Amino acid sequence: MHELSMADAIVKTAIEVAEKNDAQQITEVTIEIGELTLLNPEQLKFMVGVLSENTLLEEAEIIIEAIPIQINCKSCNYEGPVPSDDLDHFVPIVNCPECEGQDLEITKGRECNVKTIKIEKEDEDA
Amino acid sequence: MHKIAEIEIQHDIMVANKKLAKRNQRILDKSDVFAVDVLGAIGSGKTSLIETLIEKMDYKIGVIAGDVISRFDAGRFENHNVPVVGLNTGKECHLDAHLVEHAFGDLPLDDMELLFIENVGNLICPVDFDLGSHIRMVVISVSEGDDTVEKHPLIFKDADIVVINKVDIAEAVGADENKMVNDVLILNPDVVVIKSSLKTGEGIDEIIGNIENFMKE
Repeated sequence: MHELSMADAIVKTAIEVAEKNDAQQITEVTIEIGELTLLNPEQLKFMVGVLSENTLLEEAEIIIEAIPIQINCKSCNYEGPVPSDDLDHFVPIVNCPECEGQDLEITKGRECNVKTIKIEKEDEDA
Repeated sequence: MHKIAEIEIQHDIMVANKKLAKRNQRILDKSDVFAVDVLGAIGSGKTSLIETLIEKMDYKIGVIAGDVISRFDAGRFENHNVPVVGLNTGKECHLDAHLVEHAFGDLPLDDMELLFIENVGNLICPVDFDLGSHIRMVVISVSEGDDTVEKHPLIFKDADIVVINKVDIAEAVGADENKMVNDVLILNPDVVVIKSSLKTGEGIDEIIGNIENFMKE
């Protein structure tokens, strides 16, 4: 269940930034998950929800965006995206779309990124 | 009145662990300690292999033993009179760089040359977490089935050494160990793949030789 430790880090990051910005609550968190991380987005979302109870994050909408896989193929020098099949959890075997080879460097798709948060705060100008 | 603000964070949790891992490697390098992250499934023979390497390798060795609960594996290593730190991960299924850094504080790094970090038995979760080791050695055995490599490709992509263990019982469990070797090499042509058996001693010298080659690099 490594979603738990990732969710914990996500929640801490979001709350830290929110507190620094004097937020009263967080309304939305957008998280990017690489398609090659061995993270299940639904489980991650559930865990963030559980860990958010009684925090600034409690009411927030959790949005998860997938980051597609990109590779550099060492066999044919193809650089670019790899189509991934629509699995409900991400464990694709990556082949080069040009030469079908598997000797490749993965350049994108292994991220777990807290991209943005939306916060609600007192309007000082009001 | 309230106002809504959108704040750009762009904080990659994976990168945060990688930074800690790099710091771990700097700490190891400062003390001239070469670290091997040993990954593999439950029951693949990680603990027994490390015990064998402790006995056969002529270095000052230390061990970090990751377990979900208990000090069972740590206790086994202590019987070999080497410094050991047991790390309990609780509900977690992997070690991370932060936990490993904590363990460094309880090891005599300046009086060590080689550190084995036994990860939690699991072919999935540890993949995403660099620990700061110099190499990754993945141990699987024929008894897990000869489709193990195909089913868990990612762990083999980042490996430096792959050990296919328990080849002495391959026939008894109906597994084709050569298929496992080939599957690894398809995924990662640069990796060193070694067939081994702790019962017969097959492959042990080869594992030691390869770890030593990496130490010299």
